[in-house]
Amino acid sequence: MIWYLVRRAAVLLASTAAAGVVVFAFMALLPGDPAEVALGVNATPEALEALRRQFGTDRPALAQFLDWVGGLVTGDFGTSYVTSSPIGPQIAERFGVTLTLVLGGMAIALVVAVPAGTFAAVHHRNPLGALISAFSQVGIAVPAFLAGILLVFVFAVQAQALPSGGYVPFAEDPSLWLRSLLLPWLSLGLVQGAVLTRYVRSAVLDVMREDYLRTARAKGRGRMGALWRHGLRNAAIPVVTVLGLQLATLLIGAVVVERVFVIPGLGDLLLNGVAQRDLLLVQGVVMMLVVAVLLVNFVVDLAYAVLDPRLR
Amino acid sequence: MRGNLVVGAVLVGLTVLAALVSFVWTPHDPTLVDAAHRLAPPGGDYLLGTDKFGRDTLSQLMVGARTTLYVGIVAVGIAALVGTPLGMVAGMTPHGWLSELIMRVNDLVFAFPALLLAVMLGAVYGAGTLTAMIAIGIATVPAFARIARAATMQVMVTDYILAARAAGRRRTAIAVRHVLPNIGSMLIVQASVSFAIAILAEAALSFLGFGTRPPTPSWGRMLQEAQELLFSTPRLALWPGLAIALAVLGFNLLGDGLRDHLDPKLRRIRAER
Amino acid sequence: MRRIGIWAALGALLLSAACGGGGADSAADRSGGATGSQPSTLAVGFVAEPANLDFTATEGAAIPQALLVNVYEGLVKLDQDGKIQPLLAEKWDVSADRKTYTFTLRKGVTFTNGAPFTADDVVFSIDRVKSDWKLKIKTQMDVVDKVEKKDDSTAVVTLKRPSNGWLYSMATRLGAMFSRTGVADLANKPVGTGPYQLGSWKRGDSIHLDANAKYWGAQPQVSRITLKYFKDATAMNNALLTGGIDVISAVQAPESLAQFADPNRFQVVEGTTNGEVVLSMNNARPPFNDKKVRQAVRHAIDHKALLDTAWAGRGQLIGGMVPPTDPWYEDRTGDYPYDVAKAKALLGGKTYNVKLRIPNLPYAVATAQVVKSQLAQVGITAEIDPLEFPARWLDVVFKQGDYDMSIINHVEPRDMGIFADKSYYFHYDNPAYGELLASADQGSEQQQVDDLRAAAKLLSDDAAADWLFLFPNLIVAKKSVATGLPKNAIAESFDFTALTKQ
Repeated sequence: MIWYLVRRAAVLLASTAAAGVVVFAFMALLPGDPAEVALGVNATPEALEALRRQFGTDRPALAQFLDWVGGLVTGDFGTSYVTSSPIGPQIAERFGVTLTLVLGGMAIALVVAVPAGTFAAVHHRNPLGALISAFSQVGIAVPAFLAGILLVFVFAVQAQALPSGGYVPFAEDPSLWLRSLLLPWLSLGLVQGAVLTRYVRSAVLDVMREDYLRTARAKGRGRMGALWRHGLRNAAIPVVTVLGLQLATLLIGAVVVERVFVIPGLGDLLLNGVAQRDLLLVQGVVMMLVVAVLLVNFVVDLAYAVLDPRLR
Repeated sequence: MRGNLVVGAVLVGLTVLAALVSFVWTPHDPTLVDAAHRLAPPGGDYLLGTDKFGRDTLSQLMVGARTTLYVGIVAVGIAALVGTPLGMVAGMTPHGWLSELIMRVNDLVFAFPALLLAVMLGAVYGAGTLTAMIAIGIATVPAFARIARAATMQVMVTDYILAARAAGRRRTAIAVRHVLPNIGSMLIVQASVSFAIAILAEAALSFLGFGTRPPTPSWGRMLQEAQELLFSTPRLALWPGLAIALAVLGFNLLGDGLRDHLDPKLRRIRAER
Repeated sequence: MRRIGIWAALGALLLSAACGGGGADSAADRSGGATGSQPSTLAVGFVAEPANLDFTATEGAAIPQALLVNVYEGLVKLDQDGKIQPLLAEKWDVSADRKTYTFTLRKGVTFTNGAPFTADDVVFSIDRVKSDWKLKIKTQMDVVDKVEKKDDSTAVVTLKRPSNGWLYSMATRLGAMFSRTGVADLANKPVGTGPYQLGSWKRGDSIHLDANAKYWGAQPQVSRITLKYFKDATAMNNALLTGGIDVISAVQAPESLAQFADPNRFQVVEGTTNGEVVLSMNNARPPFNDKKVRQAVRHAIDHKALLDTAWAGRGQLIGGMVPPTDPWYEDRTGDYPYDVAKAKALLGGKTYNVKLRIPNLPYAVATAQVVKSQLAQVGITAEIDPLEFPARWLDVVFKQGDYDMSIINHVEPRDMGIFADKSYYFHYDNPAYGELLASADQGSEQQQVDDLRAAAKLLSDDAAADWLFLFPNLIVAKKSVATGLPKNAIAESFDFTALTKQ
């Protein structure tokens, strides 16, 4: 187990390093000069020159890269070209918002999917189970932003029950915080829940065919009892995989939901950064996202190893 | 379940049919702006009504189906052509350094958000259907590589492959003659599911303004344009929304149905790894 | 006349730049009579968030829109009719040769950092434009020969030559008064003399402006203004419908106005702006270097139908580069009436393929689809190529001039001068036009009007571009916002000082 952990950690580090190079190279391809965007095209050449010197974008790419990596290692993301404020705290704040959004959506997805999927699997031969399967199929087919728009229309505009958008930090007002996040959570969670329901169903179905479950039932346990005692651990393996994949998708899906609900999250910061050619900021955000996904993969791999010792 | 296959095939068939017919006939010119007939109600000359530019909704939906299929074919094509060989190589040498490298790079690509790729490609080459599709395609490569690897690993331990290897067949020959045909059905299933995902991705990109260029009709952009009229003319959002949902449903059901139909055993290999 | 100012293009991103304008005419009218009552707040929705708060170094309309008149004040300001009114200057005298301006400054004015406002600050601020500002618009101050302090409350500005445009420029951000000790961190900590000061800024979300308790004039009735930023028109509409904001500063989706039809809940203010939505044609390369082809385009566009479909009929057809609020405005829509047969005749049976490279902004995407459809009727095939705005559009169209046609809302006030510079992306080249503008800037008031009318006619006759429509000022507010919403948006700022709430 230790050896496995060390190997996986080494892979994680190598991937992160590779990601750094890729992210930086990617940004170098982006046309458009940050100084030019800040000043407009009719800025005087001297002003452009001075601003490039101030940004450090007049230096060779390698020097800029080393500077950036050096900063990252010490936790310094650099200073934004556009806002002239440090990038690290901005990313941290936005990441917190997006993570809240994603984890909440995920929680709703799980709350919906685990019972629904299990139920659909257990009752896969009768109409009720088929109905749930059908519902999940339809849920998958609805774009998340459309779900968001419809939720706003119904709950905010028509019923006037919840705010249509905006974000209130928890520290400012916990009840407003909750109200401002309910609809975004729902629109992420319901769609993802539909996807997850399918996987839970098929995982539970697989488990139900296994010999040990038959044995357990033969020993007199009820169907649900047998599933609970022996099946869930095994059904969890594929579900955990999908959860990992979905977490990554959700970080991106959140961008669209952030737009619909006017939530100042990481996606918003990213799109703004690209538009304003705030390259250091974009690099920082992308790096953060990539590392987050790599970390999720890492954790998923570890979870496997714990759930299924054969995989070590 | 045979029902899945039938319903899926019908929905996908409808989309394909609408797209094909639109090449030779649409009720009206889908991009013709006609101030005199703006926001015409459904019925009469305009079966599903017109939008704020006076463009016929039905004609737009039909040509939009073309965009949707184009999106799916390009994106899934890229993903399948790149991802499958990589996954097969990794699956045939499951413990070698090459396999490890491929899968790690795969993880890295997976970690890059498709949206970011689309935004970046859009900034470099201009936003449009093609750039969006390439971005979605690249982002879908890891899914194909993983499924190809998992399927290949299963096939590699079957008796006939073991026999072929014992007979001293070259690896490439084994890959092409024996592995590919046997993992083909898995790939078709994955293609169907990825197709559905690509349609949704195009809609999301169009919503954010990185998708199909105007005035080429696209379901995603129709939905985005309908937003400001959601209150007064909700049908403008209803039709493209329904079209997207039905097409996605169709491809997903088709994928499920194919899985069941082609090889019941394959149900045991899950699409994710 | 103003010189070439290019932030017009950037401003177009911030459509709401087209929105703003002076509310009350003088400080005395401004009180609203709420001094001492409990604090009231108001939230106003905007479309584009400033990247930082330094409008001396960053382009774009979002910063002056939020800060000018509200946080920063100039010696003068523009009123609703486009007339120049006193602000930090109580009055000014102009010498007989129209080259020397003597400003008498208001007394008892302090900056929010505690420093008093004196003639030294006037000298500092005007000199600083030349020495420290990074934007090209600073050339509008090149006409200034020197600025001197006569005594603490008198400042004298001497121009190199008479200029009708200079004092007008002083009513824009160029005339903002800065404290000698308050310019250390303009990007984050603005220091001005205005009725509001920066409260807090939640990046990506909102800016709070709080009433400045030590303001020299009457306190504004609304003590806290929240500027809330939206990237999506629907999200902004929903926020007003659900009480998240009180005012939409500039409607981005005019079709959606039907939602606000209930007069018991909402009011809609509609007026004009300085924003001419220009269908630009590249005069420097084929096919639009041929005047006949440009004229054909002007005849081929059905402007009424375009406005009705693309922008719900909101806005005004002008046919030229002058907004109705300028004294030299004339309706030029009759110059090139919609006439497909004439357009075809001008083209002589030829067909063309052109690139219509537009910014990816709502109004441009909507109008481009109509333009494409209408041009197709006369044999011009336009391929729409939406470019990321601002970065890509500025680079490809504006800087490299690699385009045939484009569509952009030129929001800068009094911006006829952009056609006088043949290096500007229109590449319009007619020396007679430049001469008319130069003569207008130096001549008498009547001569200015005559010359500019002649210039506008020349521009239209030459079909230097086509003018699709004048961008409307469209504000929607809750019924409870009683007064102070500007009908016409002709200044750079959105003036909050006159807003009152029931």
